[in-house]
Amino acid sequence: MTARATTVHALHAARPRSRFLRFSAVGVAALVTWAWWAGRFDVADLFSARREANLMRFLEDVRPPALYGKPWDWGVALDWAATMFTSGHQGAAFELPSGWEALRITLAMSIAAIVLAGLVGLVAAFPAARTFATADAFLPGSERSSVARRRAWTALLIGTRGALLFVRSIPEYIWAYLLIGMLGISAWPAVVALALHNAGTLGKLDAETVENLSPRALRALRGAGASREQIAAFAAIPSALSRFLLYFFYRWETCVREATVLGMLGIVSLGYALNEARIRGRYHDMLFYVLMGALLVLIGDLVSAIARRAIRKA
Amino acid sequence: MARSPVMRATLAIPRRPPPIRARGSVLLAILGLGVWAFLALDLTWAQVIPTAAGLRQIGEFFSYALRPALSYQPGEVPDGSPSLLVQALLSARLTLIFAVTAMSLSVVIGGVLGFLGSTAWWSGDASGSRTAIGRYARRTVAPAIYATTRVVITLMRSVHELIWAVLFLAALGLNDLSAVIAIAIPFGGTLAKIFSEMIDEAPRDAADALRGAGASGAQVFCLGLLPRALPDMSAYALYRLECALRSSAILGFFGWETLGYFVKQEWENADYDQVWTYLYTLLLLVVLVEWWSSGLRRRFVA
Repeated sequence: MTARATTVHALHAARPRSRFLRFSAVGVAALVTWAWWAGRFDVADLFSARREANLMRFLEDVRPPALYGKPWDWGVALDWAATMFTSGHQGAAFELPSGWEALRITLAMSIAAIVLAGLVGLVAAFPAARTFATADAFLPGSERSSVARRRAWTALLIGTRGALLFVRSIPEYIWAYLLIGMLGISAWPAVVALALHNAGTLGKLDAETVENLSPRALRALRGAGASREQIAAFAAIPSALSRFLLYFFYRWETCVREATVLGMLGIVSLGYALNEARIRGRYHDMLFYVLMGALLVLIGDLVSAIARRAIRKA
Repeated sequence: MARSPVMRATLAIPRRPPPIRARGSVLLAILGLGVWAFLALDLTWAQVIPTAAGLRQIGEFFSYALRPALSYQPGEVPDGSPSLLVQALLSARLTLIFAVTAMSLSVVIGGVLGFLGSTAWWSGDASGSRTAIGRYARRTVAPAIYATTRVVITLMRSVHELIWAVLFLAALGLNDLSAVIAIAIPFGGTLAKIFSEMIDEAPRDAADALRGAGASGAQVFCLGLLPRALPDMSAYALYRLECALRSSAILGFFGWETLGYFVKQEWENADYDQVWTYLYTLLLLVVLVEWWSSGLRRRFVA
C-alpha cells in the first residue's frame, strides 16, 4: 500500500461514528418500509371509475354557479368572488359569513391566542429552566439549602416541564374539540386551545433560551443581593427578549395556519365557513374560503418575516 | 478633581440603547393587537366561566386524568371490538403509518423542491459556464425555475393539511392514500422551504475548496454543500415527523380511524376515562419521537 492510501484508510477508520446515528438510519429505513407495507394502500381504488366520476362532478361544482356549463370567464368569476368577499351567502336554509368577516375573526383568534401563549410561555420559562428552578440558583458553591427545599425546586422544575410537554403534545384541534364540550360554543375554546398548545411550545423554547444565557452577569447580580425574581425581570428577560420575540412570531405563523381550521368544529370563522360549504355541497364557496385561508397564511408569513427581520437588526 | 465637560464626554461609556426600549415598539404593537383581537372576538369573561353542569363535567373529565381506562366497562364492550388497549394500539399504529408514509413522501418532495428552490445550484458566476447555452441557462432559465419553485412551495404550504384532507374528501371520497397525500403536500412545502434555506446558509468552506480543486458543479453540491446541511435537515425532518403524528391523529375527526377518531367517539359517549387512554397514547407517540429527534440533534451538535 502506498503511503497516501494508508493515510486515506487511517482517516476513514478515524471518522466520527455514532451508534445512535447508525441505529437511527436503520430505524428510519425500517419504519418507512414497514409503514408502506402495513398501510395496505389501495392505489387501484384511487383511480377507479367511481372516484373519477366523483372527481369530475367536483371539478364541475367548483366553478361559480353563474358559469355552470359555460366556458370559463374571469370577469364573471371575479365578480362572484368579490360578492363573496363583501357579503358572503345569505340563504333561507343556511348562511355563510363574508370572506372579510371570516378573515377578520380568524386573524383575531390567532392574535388573541398567541398573546396569551406568549405571556404564559414567558412566565413558565423560568420554573422550567434548570438554571433558575434550583434551590441555590446562581450562588457560588452548592447545596446550601435543605434537602426539602432542593426537592421542592426539583419538583417544580419537573412539574412545569411535564405540564408544558403535555399541553404541547395534544394538538390544537383536539384541545379545541374538548374545550367546546366544556365551555360551549364561543371563540374562547379556539383561542384557549391555540394558546395551550403554543404556550407549551413557547415555554419550552423560552426555557432553553434562559438556560443558555451566560451565567456570569446573573451570578454577579445574585452576589449583589438580587432575588431570583429580580434577576429574571431585570437581567434574564431583557437579554433574552429578542430570542423570545423571534420564537413568538415563528409560533404566530403556525397559529394563523391552525386558526384557519379550528372553525371546522363549529366556531364561526374561516374553517366553519369552509366546512359548512362542503357539507352543503357548495364546492365553489368552499374553494373560495380555501383561497381566503391561503391568503391569510401568506399575509401572516409576510408580517412575521418582516417583524423577525426588524428584531434581528435591533 | 473636577472634570471638564469635554473630559466627561470622552470618558463616558458609549451609550447603548436600553435593552427593552429598543424593541419596545414591537412589544407595544403586540399588546395593542392583542387588545384589538379580544375586542374583535367579543370575548367576555362570562363566556369562560362554566355553568354548574359544565363545571361538573370538567371536574369529571379531569378526575380521570390519573386513572385512564385500561379496559372497557363490563357490559359496554362495543360489538366485535378488540379490547380497549388493543384498540388504542391499533389506532396508534394507523396514526404512525399515516405520519411515516406522509413524511417519507414529503422528504422526497421537500428534497427536490428544496434543491430547486435554493440559490446555491445556479447563482454565482454565470461566465464560468463553458458554452453559450450554459450561460444562457444560468442567467435566465435557472432563475425562472427557482422563482416557479418558490411559488409552488408557498401554495403547498399555505393550505392546512386538514383543508387538503377536506378537499380530497370532497373530490375523491374516503381513501387512506388521500389522507397520506393531504399531509404530504403542506409538509413537503414546509420541508422544501426550510431545506432550501439550510442549503443556502450552510458553510461554503468545503464547497469552495472543492470548486478550487476543479470539481464539477454536481460534485461541489453533493460532496461540499449537502453534507454540511444534512445534519440540520435530518433533525428538522424528524421534528416534522412529530408534527405529522399530531396531524395524522386529528384526521380521525374526518373519518379515518386514527387516534382522533376515538377521542371524538369516546368524548361523545362521555367515556372520559377512555378519552384519556387515547390522549396518553398520543402523548406517548409524540414523546418517543421528540426524545429521538432531540437525541439526534445533540449528537449532531457534539
